[in-house]
Amino acid sequence: MNITQESVNEGLRRAKYVTNERVETAIFLALALEKPLLVEGPAGAGKTEIAKVLSEMLGAELIRLQCYEGLDESRALYEWNYQKQLLRLHADEHQGMRWEDISEHLFSRDYLLERPLLHAISSPHKTVLLIDEIDKADEEFEAFLLELLSDFQASIPELGTIRAITRPVVVLTSNRVRELSEALRRRCLHLFIDFPGIEQERKIIELKVPGIDARLAAEAAKFVAAIRKMGVHKSPSIAESLDWARALTRLGIKELSGDTIKSTLGLLLKHEDDRGKVEQKLASLVARR
Amino acid sequence: MSTLREEILRFITALRDAGVRVSVAETLDAINAVATTGLDRVRMREAMAAALVKDEADRPIFDSLFRSFFSRADVRRETEANRAGTESSAAPGAARSKGESFKAGKSREEPTPGGAPKIVKKSEKSAEAKARAESEKNRESGETSGEEKQRKSERPEHKQTTEPGIEAARGARLRVLERMPFENYSDLEYEEMRDLIPRLVRRFRVRLGRRLRRARLGRIDFRRTIRASIQRGGALVDLHYRAPRPRRIDLLVLADVSGSVRHCATLMLELVAGARAYLSRVRCFAYIDRLAEADFVEGHLVTMPALDMYARSDFGRVLAELWDRREELLNRATVVVILGDGRNNRRPARADLLREIARRCRAVLWLIPEESVRWGTGDSAIFQYQREISALLPSRNLEELQRAMLKIA
Repeated sequence: MNITQESVNEGLRRAKYVTNERVETAIFLALALEKPLLVEGPAGAGKTEIAKVLSEMLGAELIRLQCYEGLDESRALYEWNYQKQLLRLHADEHQGMRWEDISEHLFSRDYLLERPLLHAISSPHKTVLLIDEIDKADEEFEAFLLELLSDFQASIPELGTIRAITRPVVVLTSNRVRELSEALRRRCLHLFIDFPGIEQERKIIELKVPGIDARLAAEAAKFVAAIRKMGVHKSPSIAESLDWARALTRLGIKELSGDTIKSTLGLLLKHEDDRGKVEQKLASLVARR
Repeated sequence: MSTLREEILRFITALRDAGVRVSVAETLDAINAVATTGLDRVRMREAMAAALVKDEADRPIFDSLFRSFFSRADVRRETEANRAGTESSAAPGAARSKGESFKAGKSREEPTPGGAPKIVKKSEKSAEAKARAESEKNRESGETSGEEKQRKSERPEHKQTTEPGIEAARGARLRVLERMPFENYSDLEYEEMRDLIPRLVRRFRVRLGRRLRRARLGRIDFRRTIRASIQRGGALVDLHYRAPRPRRIDLLVLADVSGSVRHCATLMLELVAGARAYLSRVRCFAYIDRLAEADFVEGHLVTMPALDMYARSDFGRVLAELWDRREELLNRATVVVILGDGRNNRRPARADLLREIARRCRAVLWLIPEESVRWGTGDSAIFQYQREISALLPSRNLEELQRAMLKIA
């Protein structure tokens, strides 16, 4: 596929991803320059969604690596299939083979367990590699990623260096649990995604919740934006506001009122303190509309 | 096109001057990015931002610089398209004045135009010079009405795309505070800073907790592996690993709470207090001219016994007091963290005692909130102390303080 800004915009539209020029440009550049894209922003603003949309857009397989504390190379890149090697060893011994013959096979691709990163590199087709919540992984892992991200290659001592046949599209996301290293930031294009504005969120709701009343969608978007502005413990994510909108349509509500909001607020706010805070100000929030 | 490249380079220099870190690789990225996206202004801005701005807090700087460097040129391009060839003299003039006022006249002597690089060809030089003179005049007498109209038509678009979202603005404000030197704090900013503390404590805890849980892979636990293999007829199918024993950290914090470094000290004490559960033993002391155990009660620093806040700092005496209590406070696992400017009001520094203390414990770290050029000036005894300690860590602002604290973990 020939990548132009227009084709990217069109692809995003088709994948039902409502966004702004900032995101469009960053995605286009990541594809055109074949550079990893580091996406930061508050939780629930659609960071992970970018990778999913990209894979849909390009018709490429999505490979996801969820980072967590203690994630290491053997979980992320490759691991020798120790059990299988052991079986092979036992079987060959019974056939009276010599060590030289056996050892030749033991460290071949058959006994390699491909983990997400290696899978993404060695795949013959274009893939989208999502490295999710990189800030949760340890610093050592980040350093290890650098080789992969700058050269798209990985070294396995027994097999040598494996180079990417087709460069995967890499998307990294971070929630800022800790600061990422400068080295990693340097190698990536950077994109900050914030919560959508009212108008944008209305579009998202209308697109993703079929059959919603246009006025209700606008009101819901406005209300969610107002909550986010209040500075609650955990701002409602886009997914949560979609859930809420779905619930509202399901309940047959045509117009927001204090009572309907109160009874469905659990879908938006998952902290008891937040709920109390919003319920207190509910009257003014509804009136302000 | 080459002038555009130069202009981008100049823009990046300006970014660096404003404190944004930009590497050479990123510069190349930016040029490539612009080459790929083309010259549509919004696209170009976003492309360069993606390549250059790796921290959302730097975005406002980027935006304002971008506007002064490139936006006028774009207006010129538009007017050129509109008037289809007719020489417009006002627009490049505007570009000039914008670029110049930004660089405070520095570029006035430069032969290459500062504000409108991509459209200025050699043949236009004379027109440009005329325009420049005109723009000088304009600047004095207020801008021409046509220009104002253009500016107005440009505004709404700006608003829509550059207005930062709530989260971004909040983040940016906090980052600015993080980089502000402690000595510039007003009380208001100090209070604002306090709101940041829970987040920093969380980061600090994550780091400490990670250290405790680190490395499930490691040495093989032979006994457990053999025991597991019995189920498989003696084949060592499942390997079991031994969990490493985390190192114990006993933290002994000495923080100078006298006027000059008060803010930094209280913030650090609060940070340590928040992470207490993750350290095996923590003793916090505040000092001015003597030691006092420090604690946080409902967000307020409480010292026992109460410190005379008007006393003059005397770290030598503090060291002597610490030395007297060495049996109780110091052992091989202790990491002593001292925060202060080492200004002793010309009283005995007692660096010899610090050496003895350093010998008894694992490490002595000194966090210094003063700028490095002021170390050792006047009544500062920091260089005498520096010889005796493991590391001197600058912590002029919260960012550096954080980094220093993470080093302890």
